[in-house]
Amino acid sequence: MGRITRRLALGIAGVAGFGVVAYGGTLVACRFVPRKHPSFFALLDAVPDDETARRVGKAMVASGHAPSDLRDLATLLSERPHIRAALVTDCPATRKRLVQTQCRADFAEGRMVSVEGWLLSQTEADLCAAAWLAGGRTG
Amino acid sequence: MIFDLNSFDSDQSITGGICITGAGPAGITLALELAGRGIDVILLESGGKGFEAETQSLYDGEVAGDLNTDVSSSRLREFGGTSQHWTGLCAPLQPIDFEKRPGVPHSGWPITRADLDPYYARAQPYLQLGPFDYDFQSWKDALPGPGLPLDPALVIDAVYQQSPPTRFYETYWTTIKTNPRIRCYIHANLIDIALDGEAVAHCDFSTLDGRKLTVEATNYVVACGGIENARILLNCNRQRAQGIGNEHGLVGRYYMDHLNCEAGAILFADNNINLTLYDGFVEADGTALQVGLKLPSETMRREGLLNNTAFLVPAYENKNFSNDFRNHGWVSFSNIVKAFAHGEVPDRFAENICNATEDADAVAIGIYRHVVRSFASTGRALAAGLRQDAEQSPNPDSRVFPNEETDPFGWRRITLDWQIAPSDLDSLRRTHELIGAAVGAAGLGRVHIGITDPPDLGIVYTGYHHMGTTRMSEDPHKGVVDRNCRVHSVKNLYMAGSSVFTTAGTANPTLTIVALAARLADHLADTGTARTGAAKRS
Repeated sequence: MGRITRRLALGIAGVAGFGVVAYGGTLVACRFVPRKHPSFFALLDAVPDDETARRVGKAMVASGHAPSDLRDLATLLSERPHIRAALVTDCPATRKRLVQTQCRADFAEGRMVSVEGWLLSQTEADLCAAAWLAGGRTG
Repeated sequence: MIFDLNSFDSDQSITGGICITGAGPAGITLALELAGRGIDVILLESGGKGFEAETQSLYDGEVAGDLNTDVSSSRLREFGGTSQHWTGLCAPLQPIDFEKRPGVPHSGWPITRADLDPYYARAQPYLQLGPFDYDFQSWKDALPGPGLPLDPALVIDAVYQQSPPTRFYETYWTTIKTNPRIRCYIHANLIDIALDGEAVAHCDFSTLDGRKLTVEATNYVVACGGIENARILLNCNRQRAQGIGNEHGLVGRYYMDHLNCEAGAILFADNNINLTLYDGFVEADGTALQVGLKLPSETMRREGLLNNTAFLVPAYENKNFSNDFRNHGWVSFSNIVKAFAHGEVPDRFAENICNATEDADAVAIGIYRHVVRSFASTGRALAAGLRQDAEQSPNPDSRVFPNEETDPFGWRRITLDWQIAPSDLDSLRRTHELIGAAVGAAGLGRVHIGITDPPDLGIVYTGYHHMGTTRMSEDPHKGVVDRNCRVHSVKNLYMAGSSVFTTAGTANPTLTIVALAARLADHLADTGTARTGAAKRS
């Protein structure tokens, strides 16, 4: 095993420091870089592509708890603060976290809807409805 | 001393300080408390030392209204009363339960929780419980698992204590027998309360084969259970045609039970959620506790909701940890095993054997699962059902009343017309919605609401808690007894037990029954009207 020389230690520290500075600087710089906003449909990544979500979406529209027009529904959703934030982020993980935060805020503020007995946040139910409408009302 | 009226060869007449009819938790507590204050007591019990079918059948009656209940098999007519088969879960009523609540018609006791607090503390040892402390914060450091991380402004943890459960016969028979202030008579059935103007002059008792006992005392207490207390007053109609204390037609009305149901469930988002704290009984500092979820009182007030504690019933990945095999057969089998383990012959042995034999499949599954549980792991908690004894709103149309059938003493049997209002379940649904909101806000998962809109009343079963039939109110037009449990229209007649409950709360009633008995003892002792007396034979 080789000896750690002073030169090697300085080199490692320099590379690590450069990495930190580069990463931090990039984050700061990115704030000023105009970017293409992800479409509303990127939000629907948060909705599982399964039968349950489709049933919830269909029930929401059928009961009138959600608008049957996708644009109206998108407008409605974008009025919620964490969803508005989610709409301007590219990162899928951050988007999902913001959607979850909005759902928790819905519960805390009493914006809930009951679908087939399940007590859901208005946002998650609306997203299911949006996914169902965007999927051509199938399922 | 304990006397068996069946062994007497002639009719008897005795006098004493306080005459207590009924040797269940209320009657026995009252007798011991009074004796402790130096007051002579005559305690009379219809049954004997154990189950006797002929005596038990005096409880037989009819069920009208909601059919998911019964009038006789849930209660035991013997020394110790229904404590001989109760499950032992205890909690005090909450301060809100005593309040007049705008959302709960006919609510409002004439006493407060603070009035009962010292008596709750005295009641705890009678039921072999821990300290009088039901505050989750006091216990949480001694508990074996964490509480769910719910916002306490939305949902709180409710603490219940578990009695062994205390069997009043096994625990207090010798104590009563050796107490020089107490004369107890078994096989003594109350057959008449004789009035002299506005006061009881004497009470008459009889065995099933006709041996009579007349008791003359200063004060009289009826402590025979939530249904039988009303039946006694209604049948004692020789001098008052509507029955004693029934001048305003209130005796038997406002019958309440707890709405026993498992409705709704929590589906958890985290596969590794720790539900140790909520899975049945846990031990903390030597006291057995059970923890459930409930709404803060302020929320109940704001929303006009009835009280409820939801206990979680975890569904584990490993099916062997499910208790879905528990039925009458399993309970009987369990009773037999416990009795033999204590070196005793089980009570109602033949009945228990038959139950266990007929449900042999459930018993076999139960034995297998108990063996497997000793070395298998639970697996993750998939969900948790919500089980509760929810409060129902007092309702004058929910009642017991005499029917045309008579018992061997010529007393009319009872019809139970238990009425559950849809609004009672609407309240429970809203409670579950608010629990669901807290669970969702904490990111713990989602709640499935098990109560439909409009509600299906068929999901509700009796909690075997009979309450309210001689309810407490300062206004004789609204209640049968006053704040001291005295029948408004009779100077020296008192009612003890859950029949005096104005509202039911959600707590199991026995602790409050015992606390009220201790309070009544203080009242009777402090009024100074009790006097000692000697027995005389006619």
